[in-house]
Amino acid sequence: MLDAFSRTVISADAKNAAIGSGELATLRNYVAEGNKRLDAVNAITSNASCIVSDAVTGMICENTGLIQAGGNCYPNRRMAACLRDGEIVLRYISYALLAGDPSVLDDRCLNGLKETYIALGVPLQSAARAVSIMKASSTAHINETNTTGTNPDETRFRKMETIQGDCSALVAEAASYFDRVASALA
Amino acid sequence: MKSVVTTVVTAADAAGRFPSQNDLEAVQGNIQRAAARLEAAEKLANGWEKVTREAGDACFKKYPYLKQQGEAGSTQTKVDKCYRDLGHYLRLVNYCLVVGGTGPLDEWGIAGAREVYRTLNLPTSAYVEALTYTRDRACSPRDMSPQALNEFKSYLDYAINSLS
Repeated sequence: MLDAFSRTVISADAKNAAIGSGELATLRNYVAEGNKRLDAVNAITSNASCIVSDAVTGMICENTGLIQAGGNCYPNRRMAACLRDGEIVLRYISYALLAGDPSVLDDRCLNGLKETYIALGVPLQSAARAVSIMKASSTAHINETNTTGTNPDETRFRKMETIQGDCSALVAEAASYFDRVASALA
Repeated sequence: MKSVVTTVVTAADAAGRFPSQNDLEAVQGNIQRAAARLEAAEKLANGWEKVTREAGDACFKKYPYLKQQGEAGSTQTKVDKCYRDLGHYLRLVNYCLVVGGTGPLDEWGIAGAREVYRTLNLPTSAYVEALTYTRDRACSPRDMSPQALNEFKSYLDYAINSLS
């Protein structure tokens, strides 16, 4: 498993060179944006169960066949497995975001995931759809652009209330990890 | 590669939980110290060739017998390899400063070094002398800030201890 720093070390070692000013600029940026990154991880972890259950519910709303007899989220036992997997994927994405490097996500979560799902008969399209909903809500939580959506009276709606600032780079990075999961399942 | 972040993530993963507040605090502490480490890494990278040369010169000055017939530095090729190895150690110290842990030195410098040096009949005391010279030669504020120097010396000490 690597983080942003050890990733630089691995590529420098391949070139047999010391790490100089050029590579250090990227790392200095990681350090300078460190608090934003921790807030972003916190935005995901603090809202994890909400993000996961919303995504799985949304996936089922779009394809109600999943919870009818014979569907892949029927009975409760399989629905529970689906929620559990959603949480696991989100957890590894939160690790990757904390580390600033996708290696932990690749090695410990995505490697062999598609084959496992095929063997278990899990519909890959539905899984990818749930991940893309998690992407939308996670990035909205990080960026604090989340809204009440179609229901203006939604009471469970919540903002993280961190200091306002430009989080576009972190949002893009987080989105890339979700996209990584989607492409691993494609 | 062992670092604060990977350690934190490994522990969280073993427990199957999301990164906790404690984990985030640990990473935050690491980030706060990072500026000094990165400064040291940058200064070392800038002066890398010169530092390597001075370290090697110091070692052959203290142990001139190394250049005699049958010793580790008897030919120019062997002497060059000695300088190359010292550069190697300093490069790993540079990596350690970037990572913020001893991972690179452990994995690429220390693991197996004892066996290799014994097989090739190389004196580790010569490496110790060279790295000690580098450590004592570095000073603040000429080379880097005091905190950066502190980080730099601690990894040099780690390498020295592994060779002693």
